[in-house]
Amino acid sequence: MTNPPTPDALDTYTLNMGPQHPSTHGVLRMKLTLRGEEIVVAEPIIGYSHRAHEKMAENRTYAQFLPNTSRQDYLCGMIYNFAWVEAVEKMAGITVPERALVARVILAEFNRIASHLLWIGAFLLDLGAATPFLYAWDDREAILFLLESVTGSRLTYCTGRFGGLSKDLDADFPRRAREVVAKLKGRWNEYVRLIEDNVIFINRTKGVGVMSRDLCLSYGVTGPTLRGSGVPYDVRKAEPYGAYPRFAFDVVTREEGDVFARYMVRALEMQQSVRIIEQALEQLPEGPILNPDSIGVKKRLKLPVGTQYYAVESARGHYGILIVSEGAPEPYRAKFRTPSYPNLAVLADLMPGHMVADAVAVLGSVDLVMPEVDR
Amino acid sequence: MTAPAEIARAVEHLGATVPAPIEHPFAGAAEVRWIAPRRLPEACRIVRDAGYFFESLTCVDRLAGHGAFELIYTFNRYEAPASSRVAWRVWSPAGESVPTLSGVFGAANWNEREAWELYGVTFAGHPNLTWLLLPEGTEWRPLLKTFTAPPASRYDDSQRVSPAHDDEPAHP
Repeated sequence: MTNPPTPDALDTYTLNMGPQHPSTHGVLRMKLTLRGEEIVVAEPIIGYSHRAHEKMAENRTYAQFLPNTSRQDYLCGMIYNFAWVEAVEKMAGITVPERALVARVILAEFNRIASHLLWIGAFLLDLGAATPFLYAWDDREAILFLLESVTGSRLTYCTGRFGGLSKDLDADFPRRAREVVAKLKGRWNEYVRLIEDNVIFINRTKGVGVMSRDLCLSYGVTGPTLRGSGVPYDVRKAEPYGAYPRFAFDVVTREEGDVFARYMVRALEMQQSVRIIEQALEQLPEGPILNPDSIGVKKRLKLPVGTQYYAVESARGHYGILIVSEGAPEPYRAKFRTPSYPNLAVLADLMPGHMVADAVAVLGSVDLVMPEVDR
Repeated sequence: MTAPAEIARAVEHLGATVPAPIEHPFAGAAEVRWIAPRRLPEACRIVRDAGYFFESLTCVDRLAGHGAFELIYTFNRYEAPASSRVAWRVWSPAGESVPTLSGVFGAANWNEREAWELYGVTFAGHPNLTWLLLPEGTEWRPLLKTFTAPPASRYDDSQRVSPAHDDEPAHP
């Protein structure tokens, strides 16, 4: 990246969006240099919720770090929790029972839908539409009730264990899960009628914030934000993990690369997640949920010396964990490659040239979770 | 489409690889090479021109045993097949700088700022090597193994005047 152009100080002015702005979804500050209503320079300023998760990881055992994982991205904490568990399992060579593998997929996909629903509600609220927020919240609530009945928590899940899950799915779970799925499937058409035909929504999103493939490549943009630019990259397909290879689903892409395309990708992706959940519920095997030989959370697990990179697809994109082990009970170094970090960095190149009113739409469209950027 | 093995061969042909300074196995990448710090931009241009994106930069503190930092750059591509990750490892003795990649990948800008503020590794030629996650002016390097506790705040609150509502009872 080159240095931002130095605008003529006489005909521009600076506008701070955030860190307490309602459309920044957390504590992000966008320092905008404007000429009239046109953005000349956009500089994201981050770090307001930096909690040094990477330092904490070096001072805790692998099991003690489990509660930290879902607090990096509180909207799809289940996926982050399983990612840490799977990375450690991979390094330690722990096998996972079939039932736990499939259960993880079900829980992770429900969590992904909940995350996308929250994004749709909050994003449309940013654009001034209050009603879809209530619909999305209602659906998300049904998912949170379901996940709470399994894990005991509503947001910051800690249900993964090295070798399985902490608690088995009860006998009634498939019935309740199917009820939630039926409720969600009944809503797709309502969302389409409510939102996608709305002329105000279309005018504010079509052709706005167009992200080219090359720009995505330069910053390493991933997830639905990238798939809205026509690139079918999904870690679940590119580097299949867990039980994903046995389920049929499509990677949703749109060619336009604008805000509307990113909206459509997330809306259609939820339907693919439902497709995965339905197959997984059919195939959910009986058996143990936790490897009986696996080491409990109270004992110290030591990983062999070495470095391991492990990636999963979170609701926002490629989430990578790099663990450096020196054979101690704690990691020597743990690095978290969070998807929102490059997805936010790209805005410095994307925003200039837009109107300040579009900044809200563009910012909302990349689905940022600030604690995940800051870690 | 260039396969990871071809990229590794191109970098070896360039003469940018160096023998491993430490024995430490790396799993999860198709190709792993140790790169000479000053040849890093060339090695990364090969990766970029092959259509790979900048995935992550990890700095590892190896000062205690070896007096150096280990930098791990990983690159990946959007197209299948699986396991097309390429990892370049760079051995940077303490006090020496590493060339910046901000001219090659947009993503390097923030990643290098983060490595600088958390470890003190300098990146030569970086356009804006300043604090990203930590408050501006922070003088300590929290991810160094020698780091113990943050120094006391430099904010002098002895002159602080208590607002009137401090004396009121807390809201029930």
